[in-house]
Amino acid sequence: MRTTITILAFILIQCGVYAQVQISGKVTDSRKEPLPGANVFLKDSYDGATADSTGHFSFKTSLKGIRQLSVTFIGYKPLLKNLDLDSTKTIVLNILLKESDAQINEVVINAGAFEASDKKKAVMLKMFDVATTPSAQGDIFGALCTLPGVQKVGEDGRVFVRGGEGYETKSFIDGMLVSTPYMSKMPDMPTRGRFSPMLFSGTLFSTGAYSAEFGQALSSIVDMKTNSLETENKSSISIMTVGLMASSTKCWKNASLSLSGDYVTSGLSNLINKQQVDWTKSPSGVDGTLMYRQKTGKTGMFKTFATFNNSSSGMIYPNTVSGTSQDILLHSTNIYLNNTYNSMLGEKWMIKSGLAWNYDRQKFDLNQDQVGTNQKMFQAKLQFVHNMNEQTELKFGTDWINFSYEQNIRMNGNYRLPFTNNELSGFAELEYKLSKKFATRVGARIENSTLLNETTLVPRLSAAYRTGNHSQFSLACGQFYQNPENDYLKFAPQLKPEKASHAVMTWQYQTEQKTFRVEGYLKKYANLVKFSQPLAINPLDYNNSGTGHAEGIDVFWRDKESLNLSDYWISYSWINARRNYRDFVQAAIPNYVSEHNLSVVYKRFFEPLRTYASVTYSFASSRPYHDPNYSGFMNAKTQPYNDISLSLTYLMELFGKQSVLHLMVNNVAGFDNIYGYNFSNTPNASGKYDSTPVKSPFVRQIIFLVSIML
Amino acid sequence: MKTLLLTTVLLLGSIIGFSNEAYEKAMTESIEKLFQAQNIPQYVEIANQFERISGIEKSEWLPLYYASYAYIMISFQETDNAKKDQILDQAQKYLNQAMAIDPNESELHMLQGFLYPSRITIDPMTRGMELMPEMNKSLDKSLELNPDNPRVYYLRATMTYHMPEAYGGGAVKALPLYQIAVEKFRIFKPKTAISPNWGKEIAEAELKKIQDSLVK
Repeated sequence: MRTTITILAFILIQCGVYAQVQISGKVTDSRKEPLPGANVFLKDSYDGATADSTGHFSFKTSLKGIRQLSVTFIGYKPLLKNLDLDSTKTIVLNILLKESDAQINEVVINAGAFEASDKKKAVMLKMFDVATTPSAQGDIFGALCTLPGVQKVGEDGRVFVRGGEGYETKSFIDGMLVSTPYMSKMPDMPTRGRFSPMLFSGTLFSTGAYSAEFGQALSSIVDMKTNSLETENKSSISIMTVGLMASSTKCWKNASLSLSGDYVTSGLSNLINKQQVDWTKSPSGVDGTLMYRQKTGKTGMFKTFATFNNSSSGMIYPNTVSGTSQDILLHSTNIYLNNTYNSMLGEKWMIKSGLAWNYDRQKFDLNQDQVGTNQKMFQAKLQFVHNMNEQTELKFGTDWINFSYEQNIRMNGNYRLPFTNNELSGFAELEYKLSKKFATRVGARIENSTLLNETTLVPRLSAAYRTGNHSQFSLACGQFYQNPENDYLKFAPQLKPEKASHAVMTWQYQTEQKTFRVEGYLKKYANLVKFSQPLAINPLDYNNSGTGHAEGIDVFWRDKESLNLSDYWISYSWINARRNYRDFVQAAIPNYVSEHNLSVVYKRFFEPLRTYASVTYSFASSRPYHDPNYSGFMNAKTQPYNDISLSLTYLMELFGKQSVLHLMVNNVAGFDNIYGYNFSNTPNASGKYDSTPVKSPFVRQIIFLVSIML
Repeated sequence: MKTLLLTTVLLLGSIIGFSNEAYEKAMTESIEKLFQAQNIPQYVEIANQFERISGIEKSEWLPLYYASYAYIMISFQETDNAKKDQILDQAQKYLNQAMAIDPNESELHMLQGFLYPSRITIDPMTRGMELMPEMNKSLDKSLELNPDNPRVYYLRATMTYHMPEAYGGGAVKALPLYQIAVEKFRIFKPKTAISPNWGKEIAEAELKKIQDSLVK
């Protein structure tokens, strides 16, 4: 009995010690909105509660002394608070949690930029979208042509941005320059990019006012990011109506190696698809690509990317200008090699470095004449990124490009046109987030060219302000220099860099499934190359007195949820552009500009048919051209351009392997698009200048391919 | 008298510190609630409880395992894709902490394999290609550590069932996999009373559903 009493007494004493404290209150965010589900508890104890639908919580504890209260919730910074449990029996708390920085609703600087990425959550396009856009036929640059701000220039194939020429868009791979991103092209024939979209996990396409990291581009940059470390061994072979393709990937713990190669020939395709060109040798070529990735240390990544291409084609070109037919044979070889190494240096610093080498050789045989062109580019780039604090990031670096060009012409004698340029640049950029709603970026770039003997310094500025949960307003402006095209520099190395100034204003609304974006811009050109006649040999015929301007509005709408199983985007651009450059006699709309451009891309997965179908409709209003039979300059207009392209992807099993059948049809409706006219230099017997229309090499093109994963 | 003594011992235990028994009791209660949870708030509440337990039992991977499991279940119910990713980030965070405690636990690799499909549903076209191999790697690792883990067989069966026939999926191909999974569940013995022991009922129910659909 005595024991029992002792125990009872003991229990009673313990109960006294165990006097409970009631802790209650409310958890809210900075806008006083309740945060149901927040976890409120005393650290290192079971005592705690979850905030209810009104943000309220309440729990009791028997703990004593100074204890730490911990409050956690997804998307918010955890909060720790000391509580004195001895002094009172009830504690009432109002707890305010701050959003963590990783929230996607943060303001981002994006004026002028379109990003396709598989890694980031909020982007307008994925690389898969690029690869399956029918009008692009698997060409990255072709897919960019469905975005606003890009002109449809069917006879060229390059990316013409906001009143700029094709050469004003520069391409990069992992931030390193590619001096020859397009295949060598025949006169009036469209070219395409050298690289398969499958090699990349993202593309940054800027249509204006881009970062100081990039220079030597008047209008636009395309920065393609190669795939990261592969994690799965895989191989595939593809058989196409235009050739054969094979690829294989091998992985190790911290490294991966991918090899791919193809043989492409349009011989068979040219038989199936009626040609509007007299081919003497069907375009054909071999390509090889190697990618090696190696993880070094905890954060380091070393990447090697190498491609090789050798191709040839031949055609009879009705040269209306000179009035003779030309038998053209083209052989070209291209090698691109790029090594990059990125790594963190401690917690706050990051190093990005790279070496790139590009070699390109083209040989044209024109009847008995010959034109050979060699280009070599070497680039070294070093960049540091410093996260000074949560609001501030500093980026700076330097970039050296050695470019040499040589053209050998055998045409009534031998001519040699060589030049070499060393371009040394430096840049710095500071990004500062004043608040979660407002961010600014200030940068500058300095460039020095040994050939042009000129140093330029340009500013870049941008700012973004968040106007709502899903919307933001951005502004950007900057100045850009680019050396004149090789075709002018080879005659006249005394020329100065051409200059452009951009101002861009954007409003964007974006949710996970929908994007609406409207962008207005003003662009001014100065120092454009002017000459009295094309192909003038005398350097003094060239000067930098050309000018130009462009202004316009670009609209983009993408919706992935409103239509069942469907995804579509619409791009519309309006542009007003004039130039007085080259041999123009007065300011006029250049021949590659159409006032209105529209693209509609629609994609849908038909599950019962296991088929993924995509359709593109493209429209461009008429383009101006100069008709010497009438008075005035750039006095005529082409018919508007229309195209409907279709692709079907069918998933199946072949010989027990996963396989894909892919069918692409360009210009399904067979529109007879005329891009412009070539006029004879001299009038015919009746005093008229003869002309021929510039058209696509085919009316309609059908490509079929089978891919088997091994 | 005996009861009184027992109570005292229990009380003393709780005063000295949290006994193993208290841990197991808290876990047992929480696990029971976890598998009764129906909606997001209930799952969040139970996940919070596991988070609190994991704060004390720093060498146990189980509280983190269940916290992660709860968040994966939440992700299946969430319809906003942006939020879904955040929820899965949270599930991954708990899972990473658990893996740090015991990197060679078959159940943790299984749970990793269970997390990926939810990520894939956010953007099947682009994420499928990237994450399917990751998922297979996790499940292979899980089987390497425990060749009889029934949940791996169950997950593989479900994935096969939901895959298009063109990619080697469909009911016919899934049926034998379900049968193996159900058999593995039948012989499965959890290591402790609070070790992972879920999936049996649903595997059996799905097997029956498929058998019925194939008979028709």
